[in-house]
Amino acid sequence: MENLRQIHNRQKRALFFLLAMLALGWGFSSWPTVFAGLILGVLFGLYNFWILTRRMERFDRAVAEGERAPSLGSGLRFASGIAAAAIALSLPETFNLIATVIGLMIPYLFLLIERIISQLKHPDPGGKER
Amino acid sequence: MGLLAAALAVGLGALGAGIGNGLIVSKTVEGIARQPEARGVLQTTMFIGVALVEALPIIAVVIAFIVMGR
Repeated sequence: MENLRQIHNRQKRALFFLLAMLALGWGFSSWPTVFAGLILGVLFGLYNFWILTRRMERFDRAVAEGERAPSLGSGLRFASGIAAAAIALSLPETFNLIATVIGLMIPYLFLLIERIISQLKHPDPGGKER
Repeated sequence: MGLLAAALAVGLGALGAGIGNGLIVSKTVEGIARQPEARGVLQTTMFIGVALVEALPIIAVVIAFIVMGR
């Protein structure tokens, strides 16, 4: 099984590719507000993901060294979700709110799909690694 | 009524996430204490678990915020 950094890097690459596609959609399609909302949501989702990876590494280090475990940063992630929704609510002529909320969840969907594919490709027979 | 709906959405979402995250972290720490060499695998599993558990409360918080703004 890959480590956290590898998963995060793969996710990042996939999400940047998706962002490029969304930027094309924003520039050339007839629904710029929907694509702008999706871009905003994915950016905040990417930020959430980055925080999660960083906090997880810090938590792991603290557990290994026997220190007091830090928080996992749930509050920060909730706040960034609220920030994305607040931006979309305050600029309704630029960002579509529903698209922003959908965009916020895209990184989680990507993670789930990526893990299912990875598990199908390299099954762990009876937890042999553990 | 909107405030009550927002409070219920955030409260119940956070309750579920709290229980879920607590279970994931406690079992991971237990696993690392029992088998320190399996740290990498456990950390990755914990990462995926926490990420997926937290997706729903984030949606709940966002919906609560939208409901409050109306």
